[in-house]
Amino acid sequence: MSVVTILQQLYDSQLGTALRESLIVFPLVEGLHLIGLALSVGLILITDLRLVGLFLRNVPVEDVLKGLRPWLLVGFVITFGTGILLIWAEGPKIWEIPIFPFKLLLIALAGLNAIWFEFQYGRTVSVWGKNIVFPNGVRIAGWVSFVSWSAIVVCGRLIPYLDKTIH
Amino acid sequence: MSTEAIFNSIQHSAIGDSIGAAGSLAGAISQLVHIAGFLLILSPVVLVNLRLLGFGLKKQSLPGLIKATTPQIWYGLALLLLSGLYTFIPSANIYYHNPAFWIKFALLAIVLVIQFTLFRQVTSVEHPKRSVAILTATTSLVLWFSVALAGRIIGFI
Repeated sequence: MSVVTILQQLYDSQLGTALRESLIVFPLVEGLHLIGLALSVGLILITDLRLVGLFLRNVPVEDVLKGLRPWLLVGFVITFGTGILLIWAEGPKIWEIPIFPFKLLLIALAGLNAIWFEFQYGRTVSVWGKNIVFPNGVRIAGWVSFVSWSAIVVCGRLIPYLDKTIH
Repeated sequence: MSTEAIFNSIQHSAIGDSIGAAGSLAGAISQLVHIAGFLLILSPVVLVNLRLLGFGLKKQSLPGLIKATTPQIWYGLALLLLSGLYTFIPSANIYYHNPAFWIKFALLAIVLVIQFTLFRQVTSVEHPKRSVAILTATTSLVLWFSVALAGRIIGFI
């Protein structure tokens, strides 16, 4: 089954149709997708800038990683949850815009980068976090995350500009 | 002159005409600047409010966090103002008739007053009274999120 077939089934489903046609719920889901961004991407960009040494340098990196993690995860649950609902409602139209599959690829890259960072450096932060200069891998992971999440937001905001039928 | 007439003359001003003629690429860029401004303001707002609620960077000095994040808030406000004007000026008449636009700016006015009075006061001390801290953080978060929500809803009306 192709991606388009699945998206079309979601589009035609009861939930997809109800969401798309709702004058209140659909804008609310869009609004929550944006608000979730403040927690998810907002806090991850702060974390990234700490990893590369450009922000909150007086705050121990371990505190930043551990203190913000639960909240940015809450943010990602909101952003991904509402994102899935938006695809459910408008999937086939969004899929036609070339920037959308690219956005998904970038999300996959950012996700893999985060997993790699967690396994490679997450557990030993109490050791390397005390150094003045962090290991190269930490800084690279920070930059990869920063650049990919910024690009993901840019792609997302451009979606309505590349298809005038979407708000 | 009525508010509607003022909005109309803004739209038909020389600036309004030239932005209107600038095309959709410039419009898209201004929207990207708007969302960059959104993240610049909202991420420190979330960070400091979490701290006020006793979460996130809870071991950090409150005035210290304010000192570190205040520049971002100003940069964010500047980007939001410029890109917002760029979006507003050539289409002022449309916004005049959009209730979400008026709700957004009423909420924004309230949250900015709170940001520069109550919020500034409460975050200037190391250990604000717990109840006041929670009230301030909740009010600030709810209002900022409502501004964002109202802003997003403008496009649907």
